[in-house]
Amino acid sequence: MSPKTKIMLKNLQAVAAVCLLLASIATVAAAGSAEKYLHVKVDDQQNGESVNVNLPLSLAEKVLPTVSKGNLHAGVVTISDADIDGVDIKAILDAVRSAADNEFVTVKDKDSDVRVAKSNGNLVIHVRDTSSGKEKAQKVDVTVPLKVVDALFSTAKKNELNVAAAIRALGEAGETILVSVEDASQHVRIWVDSRSTSE
Amino acid sequence: MILLGKIALGVAATAVAGVGLLCSEGMIVVNVVEKQPEHHHIYVPAPAMLLPIAMHLAPKGELAQASQEIRPYLPAIRAAMDQLRDCEDMTLAEVRGREEHVLVAKRGGSIVVDADTEDATVHVSTPIRAVSSAIEQLAAAAPPPESAP
Repeated sequence: MSPKTKIMLKNLQAVAAVCLLLASIATVAAAGSAEKYLHVKVDDQQNGESVNVNLPLSLAEKVLPTVSKGNLHAGVVTISDADIDGVDIKAILDAVRSAADNEFVTVKDKDSDVRVAKSNGNLVIHVRDTSSGKEKAQKVDVTVPLKVVDALFSTAKKNELNVAAAIRALGEAGETILVSVEDASQHVRIWVDSRSTSE
Repeated sequence: MILLGKIALGVAATAVAGVGLLCSEGMIVVNVVEKQPEHHHIYVPAPAMLLPIAMHLAPKGELAQASQEIRPYLPAIRAAMDQLRDCEDMTLAEVRGREEHVLVAKRGGSIVVDADTEDATVHVSTPIRAVSSAIEQLAAAAPPPESAP
């Protein structure tokens, strides 16, 4: 093989590599902009009932800012000062954000086990409760991406929750199970993914 | 004879065009099947284009009252309809009990409600465009509230 042909082949390989890289970036970008859906699924085995709700996040994102009812105006929920009770939530969030992955709260006793932790950019809450005396413990798992929590508290006022921004952030975050509550007879799940069905 | 044929063709073409125009907005379908011993079956397919005409025939007073009641929710309804029109066909909500099943879905540009209960099976399908235009007509039925000076 002549040196000229070798150079040409190398150039071709470089062009192919760049094309492959661009194609990968385009694929990732397309996947990122795909519609996300919020799913709520309630299964009540005891009563033989089930509820499924599938909501395109884009719909929630567009509708919420137009609702003006009660404490919700323009996608922002106002909490009464009494409910905040002097707690500086933004300062707490700042502390959590800057902290390394860790378990912040652990409460364990005979009947219950509560853990609050930060893990892989998520705020994670686990609760196990056997106090009801039932065979199967009640399990509550909440996983919220910190970006969503940040968006929720992104308004200038301390007593406001920016729900519209949180939904936008949820759409940008990956697929995740937000809430799972399970006991002997019922199972409630709230999650976000790119599928329009809850199957 | 040829003239008669031409007239018949013209009438048929007009009828087809008329039906096509009437159905261009889609069809509203209501289908109710009772499960009682006296079995009743109600099936009403109506062109969605008739909905605005029907709105014109509704009593003005009641329409104005409904308009005022719906006004606070209009921006939310408009936004929801716009988004629903663009989103893919999907089940929006489904409730399943031992003896009933209710499903709200978006299918082919329509909002579909299916209910299967002990007493009856109900199917209602309404094109989103028809709902939007009916809502706009309802909104226009009452004058907008005067803004404070």
